[in-house]
Amino acid sequence: MLRRTVLGGLAAGAALARPAAAQDADWGKVVEAGKKEGKVVVYTASIGSPFHKTVFKAFEAKYGIKVELLEARASEVRERVRVEQSAGRFLGDIHHNGSTTTWLMTKDGNFQPHGAVPNFKNIEAPYEATDISIPAEVISYCLMINKNMVKPADEPKAWKDILDPKWAGKILSDDYRALGGGAVFFMVMYDTFGREFHDKLAAQKPMFSRDLQNSERRVARGEFPLYIPFSLQDYNNLKGLPVKPIVPVEGRPYVRFDLSTLKNAPHPNAARMFLNHYLEPESQLVFANAGYNPVVKGVVEKTSAEIRPLLATKAMGTTTPPRQDAMLALAKEIYK
Amino acid sequence: MSVAVTVPAPSAHPPTHPIARAFARHGRAAGLTLLVLLLGFLSLYPMAMLFYGSLHSTPPGMAGTFNLDGYAALASNENLAALVNTVALSLVKTVLSLALAILMAWIVARTDTPGRGVLEVLITLPFFIPPILTATAWAMLGNPQVGTINLAWKALTGLETPLVDVYSYGGVVWHMMQYSTPFIFLFVVDAFRAMDPSLEEASRMSGASHWQTFWRVTFALMLPVTTSAFILSFIRGMESFESAVFFGTPVGINVVTTQIYNSITQKAQPDYQSATALGFAAMALMFVLLVVQSRLLGGRSFTTVTGKGYSPSVTRLGGLRWAAFAVCVAFFALTVVLPVGQLLLSSFFQFFGFYQLDMLTLQHYRDVWENDEFWRAFGNTMLLGVLGATVTMALGGIVAYVTTRTSWRGRRLIDILAWLPWMMPGMVLGIGFLWGFATLPHSIPIYGTLWALLLAYVALGTPVAVRVTSGAYAQIAKDIEECSRVHGAGWWQTLGRILVALAWPAFAVGWVLIFFGIMRELSASILLYVPDTEVMSVVMLKMWVSGKPEEVSVLGLIMLVLVLVFRWVQLSFIKKRISTL
Repeated sequence: MLRRTVLGGLAAGAALARPAAAQDADWGKVVEAGKKEGKVVVYTASIGSPFHKTVFKAFEAKYGIKVELLEARASEVRERVRVEQSAGRFLGDIHHNGSTTTWLMTKDGNFQPHGAVPNFKNIEAPYEATDISIPAEVISYCLMINKNMVKPADEPKAWKDILDPKWAGKILSDDYRALGGGAVFFMVMYDTFGREFHDKLAAQKPMFSRDLQNSERRVARGEFPLYIPFSLQDYNNLKGLPVKPIVPVEGRPYVRFDLSTLKNAPHPNAARMFLNHYLEPESQLVFANAGYNPVVKGVVEKTSAEIRPLLATKAMGTTTPPRQDAMLALAKEIYK
Repeated sequence: MSVAVTVPAPSAHPPTHPIARAFARHGRAAGLTLLVLLLGFLSLYPMAMLFYGSLHSTPPGMAGTFNLDGYAALASNENLAALVNTVALSLVKTVLSLALAILMAWIVARTDTPGRGVLEVLITLPFFIPPILTATAWAMLGNPQVGTINLAWKALTGLETPLVDVYSYGGVVWHMMQYSTPFIFLFVVDAFRAMDPSLEEASRMSGASHWQTFWRVTFALMLPVTTSAFILSFIRGMESFESAVFFGTPVGINVVTTQIYNSITQKAQPDYQSATALGFAAMALMFVLLVVQSRLLGGRSFTTVTGKGYSPSVTRLGGLRWAAFAVCVAFFALTVVLPVGQLLLSSFFQFFGFYQLDMLTLQHYRDVWENDEFWRAFGNTMLLGVLGATVTMALGGIVAYVTTRTSWRGRRLIDILAWLPWMMPGMVLGIGFLWGFATLPHSIPIYGTLWALLLAYVALGTPVAVRVTSGAYAQIAKDIEECSRVHGAGWWQTLGRILVALAWPAFAVGWVLIFFGIMRELSASILLYVPDTEVMSVVMLKMWVSGKPEEVSVLGLIMLVLVLVFRWVQLSFIKKRISTL
């Protein structure tokens, strides 16, 4: 990873070191070639998101390049790419998936270097590009309560507040023993508070469900007063219901989605233009207003007043792909 | 009912052209070879890919080693518990569903219960509602905290203990029964109708009671159809996913399919070896069942449709007919009115389950109407559904003929090949199709086209088509067929004008079952679709995952309307045909 980051940095640095006019001319050629290619095929694990479609439609309108989407769950996207490539079928250009799957696929050699892209300069720390992948957007996790069931005075303010015995049997949660938001939450809480946090949370007997959207509705209907970990962007679908997202004082666990260019992409120039478009502040603003944390500078400040306080919170931490399987096993041991 | 059979005109002359002569001479062998190759491609080929996957440390196309780790992992306590749960849950729900379905099929087909025609359509409706929607509806009705049923119960009795809890073994069984009962009903109802009542009359005249006649004659003659339905339903129960994942997993009830799902999607590194090995273990169990069924039925005759005329008769139930009516209506109310009522209501409100006047809206209908992707998927699904169901029934009709009406060599192989896809859980078989089709030579244009979906659907539907038609063929006397052959009709003429003509109500049922199976199929579709070939199940998944259950409700209702139209057309034809005979 370090080698790739350094290479990515060097590539971006080398591009920046060149005279601006030469860079513009080079990029002009990419744009010209991309328009001739006429389309870009995106394999994404972000299913049915209207915000992504807004950004893709803006790309189509700006360049006249058609975006074709193949949406499936993370492991399905990964297996399709793997089997297609091993059979010599190179159909996709861009891969959009969570950072753990992207890391595994990088190890498997499913991607090719994306080449220099002008908007890499927009990326904001702690997010960074490598020569293989660039950050796309960030899913942030917080708590969600049913406002009719939890009085303002009883609202949890810190993550440790959910360990209070009054929440025993009242927490609905994504499963920590499976890849996804639950696993991110588990790892970040473990890294921050240690195993003791999880031992105490297990004693609260949280009810697990992997049907995330339905779980959120169940809390809204009053089956449970508290849901964890709540993906902030899902709040868009719940506005008007008696629910409230709360980012605890310690901050929010997060997981990054990455973009990569698939090996032997049939439309490599259109793919580069797509990456560049994704990192435009206007594109990132669409994601930010939807509840995703942006990965480029100067965007959070421009978001709507309602979402800004939630996004402008401390990022607590994220998953570390090499430790993922060990963490899932530990979660299985603690939450039997 | 007098069975009017048009005996085909004899063929004029034997073929004179050398190729035609050669075909006539070798036609059967060539036809059988073609059938074996086709079925082999549809079922054995993806299965072989999966078998490779179960024996190899990595999926096809990746460097790895052959080992038995996948099968060794089966012996874990977790997997063994899941296997036991799977068999127990499926057995309980199949026995209960079979009893209920047979009772209702008899009521509808052979008694004077009022409103039988309407009841027949209504009873089958639950089968066609997407399981994800009924699961959501029942979660709202029967959750222990604020479920509508429990709130009503607490208000009525003043008790604090909930009446029902859908998050339990009972909840899983109940949700599965909503699909298996109408499925079995569809299977057996036409068999009841096609039966010669003189056999029952003989029983009654010999002094047997209604019950004895039902049990010893009616039910006994239904054995091929009922055991077929039982086996199909039991196997489908073992492969069921939605009921367990919704109502079982949250309380620690795991089954084979949830374990497979966990192996593939819930680990950082998907474990296809364990998933496929678990699929084969489940398949081995199902295979044992098939052998038992074959032993049970071997050598017995179930002929009820003969060349002799008979007229329809119904059992007069007297006052009991209202009780029979109540049974069917109660089933309909519980499995359709409650969940569908909730779907219908929710489709007009901003949020599923929040019925406030200020939230009334038609927005979900507008959103679906204006969704280009939905219309593209709808067109693809209709095309694939009509083509797929027709091709599958044609293939199933031929396979059933070869396996049940001939003594040709190779028929057992054909039977097994046609069965294989039904015995592998859908989510594993979907991977088999992906691996199989993607690795075909690029000159065979299947992967990435509608053909991939069509072939997968035909493979998945063939077992149902074969069971439906072979059940119906088993009731047709061989003398009619022989009469046709004696009069010079060829094999195809006899198949089309005798067997299909007599068994066509079963064909119609099979067609509808397969058509709606295609509409609902997701496991293979999600792995085989490409940007231009989306189908409705994929669009529904996208809507669901992006938090739009209300739009999924709209799609569910559209599907229900389609079902009503199809069933109405089908039953009108059946009535028309019976009245002309």
